[in-house]
Amino acid sequence: MRSQRGKRPVRNPLLSARPQNGKSLIPLDVVPEPLVETSHRGAGDEVVIRTNGLSRAFRKGLALDSLSIDVPAGRVLALLGPNGAGKTTTVRLLNGVLEPTAGQSRVLGLDPVAEGDELRRRTGVLTEQAGLDDRLTARENLLFTARVRGMRGQPASSRVDHLIESFGMGEYAYERTQGFSTGQRKRLALARSLIHDPEVLFLDEPTSGLDPTATREVIDLIAGLATRHGRAVVLCTHFLGEAGRLADEMAVLHRGRLLAFGPPAALAARLWPGLEAELDLGGPASDTTVEALRSVDGVLAAHNAPMGARVTVTGREVLPRLVARLVAHEIPVYASTPLPKTLEDVYFEIAGRIPRDGPGLGGIELGNGTEPAP
Amino acid sequence: MSRPNWQSIRAVVARDLTAVRRSKAIMLPMTLVPVMLLVVLPAGTAFAARTQDASGVSDFLNRFPAGLTDPIVGLPQHEQLIVLVNGFLIAPLFLIVPLMVSAVLAADAFAGEKERRTLESMLHLPISDRDLFIGKTLVAFLPAVAVSWLGFVCFAVVSNTLAWPVMHRLFVPTALWAIMIFWVAPGVAALGLGVMVRVSARANTTQEANQLGAAVILPLIFLAVGQATGLLLVDVPVALAIGAVVWLVALLLIGRGIQRFTRDQLATRI
Ligand SMILES: Nc1ncnc2c1ncn2[C@@H]1O[C@H](COP(=O)(O)OP(=O)(O)O)[C@@H](O)[C@H]1O
Ligand SMILES: [Mg+2]
Repeated sequence: MRSQRGKRPVRNPLLSARPQNGKSLIPLDVVPEPLVETSHRGAGDEVVIRTNGLSRAFRKGLALDSLSIDVPAGRVLALLGPNGAGKTTTVRLLNGVLEPTAGQSRVLGLDPVAEGDELRRRTGVLTEQAGLDDRLTARENLLFTARVRGMRGQPASSRVDHLIESFGMGEYAYERTQGFSTGQRKRLALARSLIHDPEVLFLDEPTSGLDPTATREVIDLIAGLATRHGRAVVLCTHFLGEAGRLADEMAVLHRGRLLAFGPPAALAARLWPGLEAELDLGGPASDTTVEALRSVDGVLAAHNAPMGARVTVTGREVLPRLVARLVAHEIPVYASTPLPKTLEDVYFEIAGRIPRDGPGLGGIELGNGTEPAP
Repeated sequence: MSRPNWQSIRAVVARDLTAVRRSKAIMLPMTLVPVMLLVVLPAGTAFAARTQDASGVSDFLNRFPAGLTDPIVGLPQHEQLIVLVNGFLIAPLFLIVPLMVSAVLAADAFAGEKERRTLESMLHLPISDRDLFIGKTLVAFLPAVAVSWLGFVCFAVVSNTLAWPVMHRLFVPTALWAIMIFWVAPGVAALGLGVMVRVSARANTTQEANQLGAAVILPLIFLAVGQATGLLLVDVPVALAIGAVVWLVALLLIGRGIQRFTRDQLATRI
């Protein structure tokens, strides 16, 4: 199986354009059916996580409502949604910490309810709260986990020391974690979640509370882990920037319901037919230029923009023809840049469909500091 | 049901004990109370017996049914005070030690995990609910018994040494003491633990657990103090019976606790 990563152009969220919420072709009811796009899957993909109608009710109501997804090995799944969407509940259910009130799940082929300990031996979790005992040193905290995970003696010590060192915490190994910063705690907790080289890694808000530098470091660490063969990573977050950088698949939750699931690019293709591109013409395109663009085969839409024009085309292959047409009209073309939709664009498109009767998808923070689109 | 995984259980016990040893709020009462009860009090009694006339003791003893006080009344008058206090009255008071130590440690082990926000990461570890419960139980029970026994050894040494000029023989432990040490004290430790296990399920902080626990445990302490002041001077069969009742209640409480101690229940209250 191949990761989706290679195919998607990596874009720096700082440079990316504001989400363009073009009109969607799929009309949605008040309670939307989830938009699920998994047609890219190969039949041979080994599924690591599978849920079927997975639900969990608390006294207040459903925290998770009939979640049905499957995640192949080697993928990073971004579990997105505002606070209270049900992300943490999902992780707890998938790791057998909570029991579902309806539905089932399988993780690594195991039933989290009946085979929880067996499953937890093979999964690692970075909880939202680092969960370090402040009366213990960094090293003691990790050694405890190593021992519960069946390591002992010298191998346990050297594994712990190695991890602490490679997470840049070496000089604090023998200090109590009491005075540690949030970033240091996260790093230590991340190191701890990797002690046993887990096959499935759950990361619950790995960068919340971190400053930009620490966020960058943690994201780089996760990116390194995620590319390792055969591992699946579930990344819960409400920071879209980091999710966009890491995720092969995205699942959008809102008040316990799945709104969308699939690779961001595939979902984007469902939401927005065609590819958007920007043409740098040195200045706003004239009406005749726009007309000329519209007349090219494969152009779905065109309008002028401050530095030229924005076009929507059926595919990349249309762009050279566009440029040729412009050049034939003696219009200088400085650049033609495809603008593939990002995870952020998809997220806000999905979010934009939620009826505005409640708190909606507030609380979402963009990695690049822009405001949520209307 | 699978066999307990002792490596995991040991890891839990070792971690909690290391952490507890560094916590002043726990170590202070855990040392102060035993020292007061088992060293200062018997030492004071021994000094009093050496210096003062003890005729008041006979009057005190005369208020009880004859059978109960036989072992003391038969003694020479100058020995009566010391045997009464160190041989009999401190014995029930001594039970405060295992009760307090196990309750304080159990509150830290069960409610403290929630308070320190370490519970969730703990629940994501491959340790079964039962093993986690066993570990947490031992964290409270073993030190409670250890502190009691160590305290008793100190008590015996202090009592016998300081009272030697009066007694000219070893008079502690008495048969009553032996029952207290090996039968009632561990039972009381289990009882304190059982109460706190139940109470901690409702409490979110150690302090809350201690307050709730105190509401249950304080009446027991008053009972012990009441006993110590001579309202209920126990003899050996009564001590054996009290121990049996304590164990029964403790095991019932712990049994109920273990049934409710499931990951799902714990995670619901994180
Ligand atoms: N133990 C619990 N008891 C009652 N309600 C809960 C509990 N855990 C979660 N919830 C509720 O379930 C919903 C989803 O919570 P959660 O999974 O923590 O969301 P997220 O991690 O996406 O922020 C929230 O409305 C939350 O209040
Ligand atoms: Mg959460």
